[in-house]
Amino acid sequence: MRSTPMIYCRRSVEILDAKTKDKLCFLDKVRTYTISFHHDPQWYPARQSIRLDPKGKSLKDEDVLQHLPVGTTATFYFRDLGAQISWVTVFLTEYTGPLVIYLMFYFRVPFIYAPKYDFTTSKHWVVHLACMCHSFHYVKRLLETLFVHRFSHGTMPLRNIFKNCTYYWGFAAWMAYYINHPLYTPPIYGEQQIRLALIVFLFCQIGNFSIHVALRNLRPPGSKTRKIPYPTKNPFTWIFLLVSCPNYTYELGSWLGFTLMTQCLPVAFFTLVGFIQMTVWAKGKHRSYLKEFRDYPPLRSPILPFVL
Amino acid sequence: MSAAAPGTSKAAHGDVAAKKKKGPGALATAYLVIYNVVMTAGWLVIAVGLVRAYLARGSYHGLYYSIEKPLKFFQTGAILEVLSRVFLTWAVTHSVREVQSEDSVLLFVTAWTVTEIIRYSFYTFSLLNHLPYLIKWARYTFFIVLYPMGVTGELLTIYAALPYVQKTGLYSVTLPNKYNFSFDYYTFLILIMISYIPLFPQLYFHMIRQRKKVLGHAEDYSKVE
Repeated sequence: MRSTPMIYCRRSVEILDAKTKDKLCFLDKVRTYTISFHHDPQWYPARQSIRLDPKGKSLKDEDVLQHLPVGTTATFYFRDLGAQISWVTVFLTEYTGPLVIYLMFYFRVPFIYAPKYDFTTSKHWVVHLACMCHSFHYVKRLLETLFVHRFSHGTMPLRNIFKNCTYYWGFAAWMAYYINHPLYTPPIYGEQQIRLALIVFLFCQIGNFSIHVALRNLRPPGSKTRKIPYPTKNPFTWIFLLVSCPNYTYELGSWLGFTLMTQCLPVAFFTLVGFIQMTVWAKGKHRSYLKEFRDYPPLRSPILPFVL
Repeated sequence: MSAAAPGTSKAAHGDVAAKKKKGPGALATAYLVIYNVVMTAGWLVIAVGLVRAYLARGSYHGLYYSIEKPLKFFQTGAILEVLSRVFLTWAVTHSVREVQSEDSVLLFVTAWTVTEIIRYSFYTFSLLNHLPYLIKWARYTFFIVLYPMGVTGELLTIYAALPYVQKTGLYSVTLPNKYNFSFDYYTFLILIMISYIPLFPQLYFHMIRQRKKVLGHAEDYSKVE
């Protein structure tokens, strides 16, 4: 986070290292200044965190020195957030992996299954359907990353990309291995089960997309304002009446649909782990909505209507 | 970090070893008593550490940081130890009968037993604020032999179990099945054995560093005691 306070009156500003308390710089009788370290290109603004308390939250780009609770000498603490990487880069990398990996298993590329199966295709039509759904899901995510989402934070720590990619790519390989296996067993209840699963999956994909569009429209381009999301004319957004983060609700629904469609235990595991993570995120988001908006609708739950 | 402090491993070990002979009931009660006493002891040790740090520094500032490393380390180490012991006892030794008469089992059981006797004497005496130097010395010295001994016993036992696991397909699930899932216990055991390679040296060398730090101040402590 880069701090760029605009200073209109005579103050002194000192900046200390958050860990060692060393004085990094001192500005006397400051008039109009934007504060960030430009001396060393290594310390690009995105990895600078400037805060009022060594263990507190970072100041935002828009914060104005005049309005901060500081005395005539303002003391700020600097923390290096470590190497940063943009959200867009992370999303594109973590979503392209599963897309490609799944297809490798689908086409039964050599060294995965026994050699006699190389480049053969499954005889079960549900396997082809599953491949289409999985690929559609990740293509949708890639396109949303490029054209729909508006990110509040530009960057995240670099190590996240390794963690996230391991998760997405690892699970994609694990699921794809079984679904495209020569010994795959199709769903017990056959066509009925697959049809229902497909309906659930598609419904939730459209729902998830609708929510992403609604969230995007809450925020004018380039701004970082936060507003309470409300239902729009699109019926898929009416779930906002009951839930704070319906994008996660629909995401859970999609994967439940995919689990039903493939009847594959690793897919169920992936759905469960994803659900746990999304619940944590939804609860956090819900809490910050409640904190920020006095008039936040009381009927809403974080992720599951009335339940969670 | 979880509350699974040093106590759990002894409780788990004692409980598990006895479970093989008798059923639960009176034993469950005994286990709970031991478990609770030992959990208390374990956390008291951390607490004692905190109080000492506070008295030494004169403020709360940075107290967590004074015990952070040992806390994290012993918690993680303790969890790993607990998991490895429960795993060895149930998933290997108990499950593969052929392995129960192996010498390697005696090796790790002896190592664990001696380690725990020393460790819990150490905690008990620390609580009473009357820690004989001999116990502290034993705690930070015996591990030099007992750790490798225990690890060797564990690895040999797992290795001995491998052919039987492969032959009988123990705990393994094969395709095709309606859940479209498979698990090969044989491969899993091999991966476990491999995981000892990064884990064991880290724990071992940390204990050696701890030993230098703790026994290095021997002169100061013996004056206080």
